[in-house]
Amino acid sequence: MTAPPAEPFVHPALFYRGEQEYVDGTVPFVREGLAAGEPVAVAVPGPKLDVLRSALGDAATDVRFIDMTQAGRNPGRIIPKVLRVFADAHPKARVRIIGEPIWPDRTGVEYPACVQHEALINSAFEGRDATILCPYDEAGLSEQVLSDAYATHPVVISDGRWLDSPSYAPERVVERYNEPLAIVEGAEGYVFGADELPAARCFVAERAARFGLSGVRLDDLALVVAELTTNSVVHGGGSGTVYVWGEGGQVVCEVRDEGELKDALAGRRPSPPAQLGGRGLLLVNYLMDLVRVRTGVEGTVVRCYVDV
Amino acid sequence: MDRAWEADPPDVSSARSTGTLQVRPLADRTGWQAAGEVSLATRTAWERALDRLALEDVEVCHLELSGVTFVDVAGVSALAVAVQGLPEGRRIMIEQPPAAVGRVLDMFWPDLPGVEVVAR
Repeated sequence: MTAPPAEPFVHPALFYRGEQEYVDGTVPFVREGLAAGEPVAVAVPGPKLDVLRSALGDAATDVRFIDMTQAGRNPGRIIPKVLRVFADAHPKARVRIIGEPIWPDRTGVEYPACVQHEALINSAFEGRDATILCPYDEAGLSEQVLSDAYATHPVVISDGRWLDSPSYAPERVVERYNEPLAIVEGAEGYVFGADELPAARCFVAERAARFGLSGVRLDDLALVVAELTTNSVVHGGGSGTVYVWGEGGQVVCEVRDEGELKDALAGRRPSPPAQLGGRGLLLVNYLMDLVRVRTGVEGTVVRCYVDV
Repeated sequence: MDRAWEADPPDVSSARSTGTLQVRPLADRTGWQAAGEVSLATRTAWERALDRLALEDVEVCHLELSGVTFVDVAGVSALAVAVQGLPEGRRIMIEQPPAAVGRVLDMFWPDLPGVEVVAR
């Protein structure tokens, strides 16, 4: 008998305090990867990119740097648009990525989507030849965030030591942050069925324009509304209600229907070019600044935020 | 009241749509002219037009979309899949589509050979 093969995907959380610990925890990780001939990407917030670039010196030229505050603004697109796109570009190699999707400025509205993203990396990358190291700023993040990191990462690195997380439970995290999203007071709503899809789109576009959205961003929102409302008609019980309102410099649009979204990775898998359908939720994740989802037997709410 | 409401709402009447699609052959070149919108209700008519375009035996087929107000992602996907099925050397020229068509093509099919977009 041989032992079962070890899971090739490695997903540690790195806890750090201050710049020196950050550099000590990440730079050797990058250098080891480069020395082993592994493609390396670093997707972290802008100021951290500068720290790593200068610490790496000449070696930085062989690393792909991505500003996570831009690419990962909406956590729902980090798996398809940052992590998978890099891993898939190197199908024959083991890849090494530093991904820092949670930073102290993330808001309470964003956080549930962030932690669900961290949890879903595990199933999205199961069986893949990859290491994704996720730094956590111990000095700036709350106890809750740090304790969630133990639940979303099978291993953690603390004080330079690797240890198995005693509380790894990614599915439970996805469920715990599947938080109710109540109808917002003052939001304007429109009930649609198959015949009202164009009207639902125009309903949202007109109101979003009044809230200050224009140009490409308004086009983006129209595309997103079309995808979500069409999903309700085709998969979500045949009808739904779309709501729109303005909130703190953003337009928020949400679609509620009676369907249940059973695939936690929906909208997070890159689509093969020859595939005809299945890009709707992916597009929603690509174009919106934040997407929150609540789903269950009682129905589904997809709430999208777009900056004006 | 929100400040944004004080100004006159922008004219978005051009974005209004009835959810229909008219497709007719172009008079002066091989291909089709479409008007209306490409969405769930008109997907079949759109895919039929793309199928017939793929059967034309010319190097370049034209799809004139200046009268189209909206194309959803499934509509752009059908277009991209049709283009990928073209025999080598053939291409489809998309004329004056809504701006989002080019953006969605770039997003999911960057550098797709066989399609050329002539912007509005």
